[in-house]
Amino acid sequence: MNLNRVFAIILRHIFLTMHQLERFFDVLISPILVLTLWGFLATYVQGLQSQTLASFLLGGMILWVVFEKVSTDIGVNFMYDIWDRNVINVLASPITFIEYITGIIAISFIRILVALTSMWLMAGIFYNFQITSLGFSLVLFWINLFIFATAFGIFSISLVLRYGHTIGPLTWILPFLVQPFAAVFYPISILPPLFQKIAFFIPISHVFEGMRFTLRTGQFDYNSFWIAVLLNVIYMAGSIVLFAVILKKIIGSGRLVKLI
Amino acid sequence: MDKKVILEVKNLKKTFNGFTAIDDISFSLEEGQILGFLGPNGAGKSTTIYCLLGLIAPDEGSIKIFGKDVSKNRSEIFKEVNYASADFNLPWSLSIWENLLVYAKLYEVPEAKKRITELLDLFEMSNLRSTAIRDLSTGLRARANLCKALLNKPRLLLLDEPMASMDPDIVDKGINLLKQIQKEEHITILYTSHNMWEIEEIAGNVLFLNHGKIIAQGTPLELTKNVLQTGGEQANLRDVFIHLSRNQNES
Repeated sequence: MNLNRVFAIILRHIFLTMHQLERFFDVLISPILVLTLWGFLATYVQGLQSQTLASFLLGGMILWVVFEKVSTDIGVNFMYDIWDRNVINVLASPITFIEYITGIIAISFIRILVALTSMWLMAGIFYNFQITSLGFSLVLFWINLFIFATAFGIFSISLVLRYGHTIGPLTWILPFLVQPFAAVFYPISILPPLFQKIAFFIPISHVFEGMRFTLRTGQFDYNSFWIAVLLNVIYMAGSIVLFAVILKKIIGSGRLVKLI
Repeated sequence: MDKKVILEVKNLKKTFNGFTAIDDISFSLEEGQILGFLGPNGAGKSTTIYCLLGLIAPDEGSIKIFGKDVSKNRSEIFKEVNYASADFNLPWSLSIWENLLVYAKLYEVPEAKKRITELLDLFEMSNLRSTAIRDLSTGLRARANLCKALLNKPRLLLLDEPMASMDPDIVDKGINLLKQIQKEEHITILYTSHNMWEIEEIAGNVLFLNHGKIIAQGTPLELTKNVLQTGGEQANLRDVFIHLSRNQNES
């Protein structure tokens, strides 16, 4: 792995964010707008019910944004090179596909850190929700979300490689297919039995269960954490294998150079 | 003294769903040589270049660049290779300077800013360094592409119709600049174009491809004499091209 080449991909996206307003909007304004909406809802619920339920909603929303933004960002970052008709220029350089994808993941990581920081500040200042009240467990939740989102992003890129760039917009919708089963705002136990079984196989459902457990008891839910880790390992390995198989196939079939 | 072989292609074959794009071609390029790669649309020129770049896997045959197998040493080899095509852009919203800086990092160019300044001066684009690619004319975009292609002082340069859809004045300037820099930096070039004048101007040797096969090769003048059976001393690749394409298609 050559870090200079990974940095080149990061630099390209930093320049892109500086020049394209929608990229800036995506990383800063959109999470703040979502937080504003859910912040008012949480404030309303707090008056009716309890502080804990309000925290569930705000905490769930903030962690969901991490997953949604990272998983779509990875696919979108790849699509930018296709839209710019630049992908062949990049791939004709000494860069390896692993370095290229690492660069794309790294820039998504940086962007979500910026988004998370702005949401953390705003939630604390305007809604008195201290995301840091989750303590060190927040970092562990965050890592699990990030890994699953990355696996999801790699899966999205694999779909684009296999079926072409016209499928790109579909990959931005895919994370929302997971949302009902991810138990972002409600416990898995309220889902119908079949949905509960599906939810079990989605790593982030265990992250949200763990978050609610921590907010309720102040304890860390090791059981949910380790199940999420195990599932993440399986999904990450699966997405990498799928990506490698598709890449080999499209280099053989000549579809790679037809991507643009 | 024998010149170093920079590129060696042996028995290259590629088939797509029963269609033979490259049919057992072999050729080589020596250091400092400029090879014109000619052929009608669909002859297999771009497919060959993509195979050289490692972006299409050949079914059979071998490709060695600087004596090393491309399929096994791609990253190492491509530090000293570059590519440009009018079909592909640099990212549109980035300025010329930003684009070249990104590519300088990708190719790990030492003293990148100095090299970029040098190339922008050479291509008379210094005053446009902060201009976004989208705001450039087609000709200036092609020049920016060439700057990118020359950033790493490549030993081997693959140019796939780099000046397509440009007016003759811009092509003439581009060719002269390329010739100048090729001489100064001893670059080996594989150059495809449908503009025969361009090839006559730049290429020392020409390889003619049709239906994936090499059907003629030599200097532009040799090809003119052999194919057209004329005794003149002026290369006429346009007529050679038409003659070879039509004869091959009829046969």
